[in-house]
Amino acid sequence: MPDLFINLVKEEWRTHSTMFGSISFALFPVMIFGIVFMGSFLVPFLSATIPAGDLALLAHAMFLLLGFMVGGFGLLGNEMMNRRFGQASLLVYSARSLPLSERFIFANFVLKDIVYYFFLWVFPFGAGYIAASPFSGVPLSRGLLLLLTLSLAFLLGLCVVFILSSLYVRSRAACLLVVVCSAVAATVFAAWSGTNPALLFPPYLLYTAFSWVALLGTVIAIAAMFAVSVLLFTPESQGSTKTYRNVLGRLARSLSFLPRSPLVAKDLLDLSRSGIGIGQALFSFLIPLVAIWFFLSLLQNSLPPHGLIAIFSLTAGIIASTIYTWVTEFDSFGPYACLPVAVSTLISSKMTTFLLLQVLPAVFIGAVACITGSPGLAGPAIVLCLSISIYAACVMAYLCGLSPSVLVYDVRVLFTYLLLDGVALVLLAALSFANSLYGLLSVFLLVPAYLFARAAGARWDARDPGGL
Amino acid sequence: MASVIEARELSKSFGEVTALDRVSLSVGEGALFGLLGPNGSGKTTMIKVLTGQIRPTSGSATVLGIDAEKEGIKVRERVGIIPEQESPPSFLTAMEYLEFVGAVRKIPDIGERAEKWFDLLEFRDKKDVLCKDLSRGTRQKLMFAQAFIHEPVLALIDEPLINLDPIMQDVVKEFLAGYVRKGNTVFLSTHILEVAEDICSGIAILHKGKLLHSGPLADLTARGEHLPEFFLSLVRKGRHA
Ligand SMILES: Nc1ncnc2c1ncn2[C@@H]1O[C@H](COP(=O)(O)OP(=O)(O)OP(=O)(O)O)[C@@H](O)[C@H]1O
Ligand SMILES: [Mg+2]
Repeated sequence: MPDLFINLVKEEWRTHSTMFGSISFALFPVMIFGIVFMGSFLVPFLSATIPAGDLALLAHAMFLLLGFMVGGFGLLGNEMMNRRFGQASLLVYSARSLPLSERFIFANFVLKDIVYYFFLWVFPFGAGYIAASPFSGVPLSRGLLLLLTLSLAFLLGLCVVFILSSLYVRSRAACLLVVVCSAVAATVFAAWSGTNPALLFPPYLLYTAFSWVALLGTVIAIAAMFAVSVLLFTPESQGSTKTYRNVLGRLARSLSFLPRSPLVAKDLLDLSRSGIGIGQALFSFLIPLVAIWFFLSLLQNSLPPHGLIAIFSLTAGIIASTIYTWVTEFDSFGPYACLPVAVSTLISSKMTTFLLLQVLPAVFIGAVACITGSPGLAGPAIVLCLSISIYAACVMAYLCGLSPSVLVYDVRVLFTYLLLDGVALVLLAALSFANSLYGLLSVFLLVPAYLFARAAGARWDARDPGGL
Repeated sequence: MASVIEARELSKSFGEVTALDRVSLSVGEGALFGLLGPNGSGKTTMIKVLTGQIRPTSGSATVLGIDAEKEGIKVRERVGIIPEQESPPSFLTAMEYLEFVGAVRKIPDIGERAEKWFDLLEFRDKKDVLCKDLSRGTRQKLMFAQAFIHEPVLALIDEPLINLDPIMQDVVKEFLAGYVRKGNTVFLSTHILEVAEDICSGIAILHKGKLLHSGPLADLTARGEHLPEFFLSLVRKGRHA
């Protein structure tokens, strides 16, 4: 067991570090530490406008979200890795030729994700806060407690996604049912009791009022979910060689009003046949955003009247921009390299697919605006969400070309990305707080977005494509 | 005879590895040219540089009179390529993949052409199966069809025979011989020296990125030498040098 585990961790490290050098990658946790360390000094000032409790809540929400994202990538990522590197090259697959059960390999794989991302994200975050505690006047014990509860938030997010995705592989309908029922139950509970369910998020409760019993309960819950998801786990069914009707040609023709329609049609077929489309929509979009809604709505009192939906639209926009990673991550440039297709052509076709898929966030934000009783704000909210999403995706395409999700771990790239997005976010938040209609001004973001997208083509055409 | 491929002092390094070391090479029209060399000698790198998939570190190459570095796309419009290990996209069927290639290459009668290839390489029964579910050999056949479906005047093919059964190897060998007889050119990398001896008109031998030998195969046969022995002695000498 330890052997497989250690080698899985090594492999994950190599995958990341060979892509952009060990140094740049090792700097990643250092940067997280640095940002949090510096940020801790702002806490006393921020608490003048946002109550400290809300800040802690946001931090917990962020780590829950991180857990969701890591979990979602870990499992659906399997499929993507498979495409990028080929089955034989990854240990998860080669382990199949060893006398080990699939379930055992899966458990190791999950543990590896937990440990790996804990040291990459969670630990440096907590450590930064603790290191700042002598200067910021926060008692050390609070810092340690925060590290513990943030870790629990991260683990909860991870386990929820693991359990749901194990269920998803067994029955998509059952999984969807569980997700929808939970969301409805939370909404009904909130309406009936007047308490936001996010306040009952166990790690946050632990942070505000620590007790050993509650800690034990949370840990048992996490362990139970982990065990259930391992039990639910089913090895991929293999050997069913289905045949398919030929739809590519027809699809490409019906999309022929779009530039590069064959490439776009191929992507859409890929997303739907592989199940990545629905899987990602569920695990990397809907579930995180529904959870985030409950957390953000706690900020209502510190925000102007239309502030909540604006903040939520911006958050949804940032998450929607990661749709660019769904459409790029599942294939590599290799198969295109023998055709007259330039990297810039592929980037722009991926961008087109990305734009088509923006229907999802648009409908989602529209629905949220209506359900929460402000249908009048749906227009500006949708515009806000889509503008920031398209802008952030174009920035990503410029910075990372065709491999966005991995390159985000390059410190310089991530820093530039955060800066470029941060400026836009702060500006738009300020504008839409002032007047909900000002959110419509965000369409002007499409100008820099277009420029970034155009520059992305030239920039990435000038280099040898990755994966060749 | 006009030269179709012209490489001048071509070098390519990946970090500290020198995959190609000042290789100069010329391939004439109508040749079936074999690029030989041990593992890691730079054959695949050569094909990628010639087709503008990656940039040379120094030196230059023209393919069909087009600068491979500056106008890689134009080169790839004109030539056909079988990559070393790239598979067709997992979630398209074999037929859809050929349609996809047809759409990208703007071939109007792609459907009819595809049918011919299903027959020639005997995989009609697999045409509606997803590429990820195809056997390696069948995927290789599909990549072969993809490279020739637009009837390019020049094809650069990397180990096209490796996963094929002996009968298919024969079919492919015969096809290649016929293809160059029509005046087309084929640039082929292979480890199977007997095949090279059988069908190639010219050969080049790479070792650790350096060109050890290049010339018509007839020169060897005139000296009464056989390719396998010639190759082995040359590479062994190179190893001691
Ligand atoms: N993308 C790359 N990054 C780093 N090194 C590379 C890359 N591609 C090739 N190399 C190195 O360049 C050298 C030549 O590789 P190449 O694939 O061209 O050899 P080859 O002759 O095709 O070998 P084989 O017969 O095994 O296919 C090898 O040492 C290889 O490790
Ligand atoms: Mg090779």
